[in-house]
Amino acid sequence: MVEVQDRLIRCFASVFPDLPEGQIRSASVETVPKWDSLAAVTLVAVLQEEFEVEIDLGDLPELTSFDAVLRYLSSHGLSPNGHK
Amino acid sequence: MCALVKLIDALEILKHPRSDNAPAFRLGLACGFTPLHFETFLRAHLSQRFPGKRVHLDTGLFGDLIGNVERLARAPEETLMVVIEWQDLDPRLGIRSLGGWRTTDLQDIVTSVDQAIARLQGSLSQASDSLPICISAPTLPLPPLFMTSPRQASSCELQIRQLVASFVSSIAEEPGIRVLSSQQLDELSPLGDRLDVRSEVQSGFPYRLAHASTLAEIVATLVEPSTPKKALITDLDDTLWAGILGEAGPEGISWSLDQHSQLHGIYQQFLESLASVGILIGVASKNERQLVDRAFERTDLRVSTEDIYPVEAHWSRKSDSVGRILRVWNIGADAVVFLDDSPMEVAEVKEAFPKMECLVFPTGDYKAFWTLLKHLRQAFGKSVVNEEDLIRMKSIRDAETFHSVADGSDSLDDFLQTAAASMQVQFTRDGRDGRAFELLNKTNQFNLNGRRLTKAEWSAYFEDPAAFLMTVTYEDKYGPLGKIAAVLGRSDDKTVQIDFWVMSCRAFSRRIEHQTLRQIFEKFEAEDVHFDYQSTARNAPLQEFLAGLLGTPVLPGYSLSMAKFSSKPFELFQHVEEIVHG
Repeated sequence: MVEVQDRLIRCFASVFPDLPEGQIRSASVETVPKWDSLAAVTLVAVLQEEFEVEIDLGDLPELTSFDAVLRYLSSHGLSPNGHK
Repeated sequence: MCALVKLIDALEILKHPRSDNAPAFRLGLACGFTPLHFETFLRAHLSQRFPGKRVHLDTGLFGDLIGNVERLARAPEETLMVVIEWQDLDPRLGIRSLGGWRTTDLQDIVTSVDQAIARLQGSLSQASDSLPICISAPTLPLPPLFMTSPRQASSCELQIRQLVASFVSSIAEEPGIRVLSSQQLDELSPLGDRLDVRSEVQSGFPYRLAHASTLAEIVATLVEPSTPKKALITDLDDTLWAGILGEAGPEGISWSLDQHSQLHGIYQQFLESLASVGILIGVASKNERQLVDRAFERTDLRVSTEDIYPVEAHWSRKSDSVGRILRVWNIGADAVVFLDDSPMEVAEVKEAFPKMECLVFPTGDYKAFWTLLKHLRQAFGKSVVNEEDLIRMKSIRDAETFHSVADGSDSLDDFLQTAAASMQVQFTRDGRDGRAFELLNKTNQFNLNGRRLTKAEWSAYFEDPAAFLMTVTYEDKYGPLGKIAAVLGRSDDKTVQIDFWVMSCRAFSRRIEHQTLRQIFEKFEAEDVHFDYQSTARNAPLQEFLAGLLGTPVLPGYSLSMAKFSSKPFELFQHVEEIVHG
């Protein structure tokens, strides 16, 4: 799971460039002011590209924190090394 | 081209913002869809093409392409990018509208597309007067709304495609408008992999990421094209033709289908095409000159020997030949491509001229040859061909004659007196002069300060009612040089401020610069002319000219009085005609 987490951190860092790396694991809609609808759509696109998964924008309400995204990816068949 | 940039890479590029002090580049992005990730890719690609600038993108309203074009054309943009998709021409050609796909609706869609195109064309023509425009015609597949099987084109589909093709071919003729090549896009982004139905339906963004990235990269190159190369130096044996001239003789070399050497014929035809748009072609060959001259007498050559100059044919090193050719052309190695079938010769020239692009001619390798031709077209591609392009080679040949006669004359005065020189000067307050704009942005040696202007800055300059553009066109008995000088300045009560002054290096040694200055003094009845002079690494000829007038080293803030100018003992022999229209 470590590799998935590292790749996920890179995704978050690219979408939220002002977020210090140490705060990425605890990031959520509540703690990151720039996590608006545009950022959410961009994050989904980056995740789809990085992990080669299809994410329905209808699932956006689930994807409200780093942990939630990690759980979502796991539940959609992503193995710890990041492959399906 | 096209090292595919992923969205995460594009975001990484944009994570490093430019300093607030960096000059801004403003682009208006007009499209009818949510630009979303396309905007991100475009900003990233433009940031790479403008490394010293802050890229600022303005966008418009969803679903209103034509309105966006009209609004952004009025905004302070430097360039307008227009990305058209089918739904912009009629919403029924998209998948977010449910306007009806009945057979009876189709002819109405065709009519509606025709009307939308007419309005768009009018808006673009008007906007192109004030800023450069780049256009991408629809890139997505049409939805399956036609009654025929997808394997069979329907009449309505063909009518719609014809309307668009007719529109873009017409708009591409407008000066200042560049149209994206659909063939280039097709090569890099397969049609079936472009539309993202889910994204289009859920967010109004119609592109798959790979297509958005590729499209953004290509349109970014339209916004800021690379500077085209100016000249090509070619080898002869197994390059311009198949065979070794020294062994086979002039009749034994070939470039035809029946002799299995067609690629060399295609290459000759390609060189002729380059020459026809002003690209200089020279030859560097290890051969007997007499044999080469005989080979060039063959009437079936596909490139005219009039288009090839100079020809260096002897047994000296190739790099020596290349050096001599560069001196005749008076251009830098970085503006030249060298082609030879021998990797060793290519390496030798590359070592002597590291900035020159040196390529091995792939004799007998059809695929590599095709790739080479496409690469050369990329390197030499230009948007417009002007009058100066068409006379460049003749002008260089004439200059050789000019200098050899001048060198043999007793004095420059004696020589210039018999040169039968004539100058056409034009003063205008209208900035629509593509040649003057080009001269300003590419001339280095006779350049007042080395400053360049964007199209928008150029247009803005003429908003000052005191601003003027002076251009100079020159000809003497050794041939025409075309429009070779441009001055941008402002006049006010017997004082002229010259902000820009450039002159082609082909026009040196003719006292054209002296006559130009005299015309400015006379036109504005000026008592003083002030120059926005700055020393640059390459403007020594300009510095020498100004210093010669003043009699002291030239410094920023240089100015010259009419009295001082008139006291200089030089004679001008040109016949001057002022063009008053425009």
